[in-house]
Amino acid sequence: MTDSPPDGDAVDDAADAVEAELEESGFAAELAALVAAPLWVDEFDTIRLYVARENWVDALRLARDEAGLTFFAWLSAVDWSTEVAVGEEVAEPDELIDRYEVVCRLSSVTSPRGAHFFTEVPKDDPVIDSVVSLFGGAEWHEREAAEMFGITFVGHPYPLKLYLPDSFQGFPLRKSYPLLSREVKPWPGTVDVESMPEAGGPSTANVEAGDTGGDE
Amino acid sequence: MTDVDARAAMHLSDASVSVELETQGMTLNIGPQHPSTHGVLRLVAKVEGERVTSVQPVIGYMHRGYEKLSEVRTYAQITALVNRIDWVSGFANEIPWIRAVEKLMEIEVPERAQWIRLILSEMTRISSHLLFMSSYPLELGAATPLMYALREREYVMDLIESVTGGRFHPNFNRVGGVKPVAGGGSTQKKVSQDLPAGFFQGTREAMDRVDSVMDELDELVTGNEMIRARTIGVGVIPPEKAIEFGLSGPNARASGVDFDLRRDGEPYLPYDQVDFDVITEQTGDSFARYLVRKEEIRQAVRIVRQAIDTIKPGPLQAKVPRVLKVPKGQAYVRTENPKGEMGFYLISEGGRIPYRVKIRSASFCNLSILPWVLEGALVPDLVAIMGSLDFVLGDVDR
Repeated sequence: MTDSPPDGDAVDDAADAVEAELEESGFAAELAALVAAPLWVDEFDTIRLYVARENWVDALRLARDEAGLTFFAWLSAVDWSTEVAVGEEVAEPDELIDRYEVVCRLSSVTSPRGAHFFTEVPKDDPVIDSVVSLFGGAEWHEREAAEMFGITFVGHPYPLKLYLPDSFQGFPLRKSYPLLSREVKPWPGTVDVESMPEAGGPSTANVEAGDTGGDE
Repeated sequence: MTDVDARAAMHLSDASVSVELETQGMTLNIGPQHPSTHGVLRLVAKVEGERVTSVQPVIGYMHRGYEKLSEVRTYAQITALVNRIDWVSGFANEIPWIRAVEKLMEIEVPERAQWIRLILSEMTRISSHLLFMSSYPLELGAATPLMYALREREYVMDLIESVTGGRFHPNFNRVGGVKPVAGGGSTQKKVSQDLPAGFFQGTREAMDRVDSVMDELDELVTGNEMIRARTIGVGVIPPEKAIEFGLSGPNARASGVDFDLRRDGEPYLPYDQVDFDVITEQTGDSFARYLVRKEEIRQAVRIVRQAIDTIKPGPLQAKVPRVLKVPKGQAYVRTENPKGEMGFYLISEGGRIPYRVKIRSASFCNLSILPWVLEGALVPDLVAIMGSLDFVLGDVDR
């Protein structure tokens, strides 16, 4: 359990692809071949396929029409960033390429199959084609990703903000965006979050092994 | 089906009346504070006479930014947040979250803890659906079922409270198991006190009550001429549209999508050890969505009865480190919540705080079909269709 699982987010790490291929996962390999995904990972019952940005709409269309992944589950994005205003930083910042990843999950309604399609969106050109023409349900998801990450979805029929007020400035889910409440007042749970004593100390004296300390 | 055709023909005749009169189009603002919106949802509807030509829902009044807040909290603290996403089924929200963490940490949860999770999840389903059974007829103008359904729902809520300490926000799951009763002893001993005294007896009684109130509601609502006239053939969602918009749970099953994560998804909780039917309807109208939820209550009662007969004594909590550090990795876990598929995409970078949490909530997707399904509906049907989708704004806005 102390072994960390295979690193899956370094897109150019070919060793991972080989390792993933060795795992028993016929569906993921077939799907990767179908949508021309150069890299795919299948771990923790979660299939991740990395497709090229130009190939984004075609890959999702193929997955829907040819692989039976007809159910549009969700679409969102991830900000891989070395500039973190608040929260957890990446494990290996030196190896990180600053980028956004747009994620779309499609699944089947006749089997437990499902897959997450990732595509890399550079930070200096955060633009990607909209998939609303494929899945009507993508409209709200893309509006949310657009306002939260500042990614432009080309061809979106109604590109307005979804949750946030129209006048809102900034993109809250970017890692560089500070959390205002933490700026004005230190987090009262700092003791627990930042520096839990390794042994002894009054706060853990009566905590049994196995208690996650959530009883505050 | 003939019923449906008859209703459709009736609506067509209404429509031709308004077209002939050439009423001027107008914009109708509904909400954000309107009783039928279950929270704060605003609809900007363009209407021509009695017919809605287009609807643009305006959401975000309840947006609390849980995805951002999750990036500054430890794994145990986030359990308290996810309770509040869909607040009428707080316990069920915890399951996909806590399982996502357990998946990355590769923790095997003791059997008893899994059964307790299953029992409380199904009780949550009963309470969520009973709320629908009370509010939906009310929106259609029938006030009596509210009293019946809410009364029995309170017995179920009492049971959840007796175990977890909270009616709405249990915060009961721990990574690797569930919380023991205060002063109940070690969580890893063979027998430790978890369920309160008299829980099984109380559950049996409550389940009998729910069963009998369902019979009463059947008589009051299901056969009610007025309810049928207002819901049959209204707001029809074909299965292709349901799939395209990501509708899940009872809303999808009412459209004939025979898919239930408890039976068809990745195995979770001991659902494979209990007998239950997945309820589907073929018509996809508001009445079908009502019927599916009604029968799901009975199925949930069935599951709870079997579960309390099956559950055995045992440890409550797997061994987990005192300071939770989740190994680097990415996992998606989804479960069948009362409202539909709820899932968490968790990205950990190996620390005590997640790097990114994507929350897939059922009501968000279920509501996103609203512009499509309301287009061309009659203004009086607007509330009937909206109510039948059974959304909770906390689940929409997150």
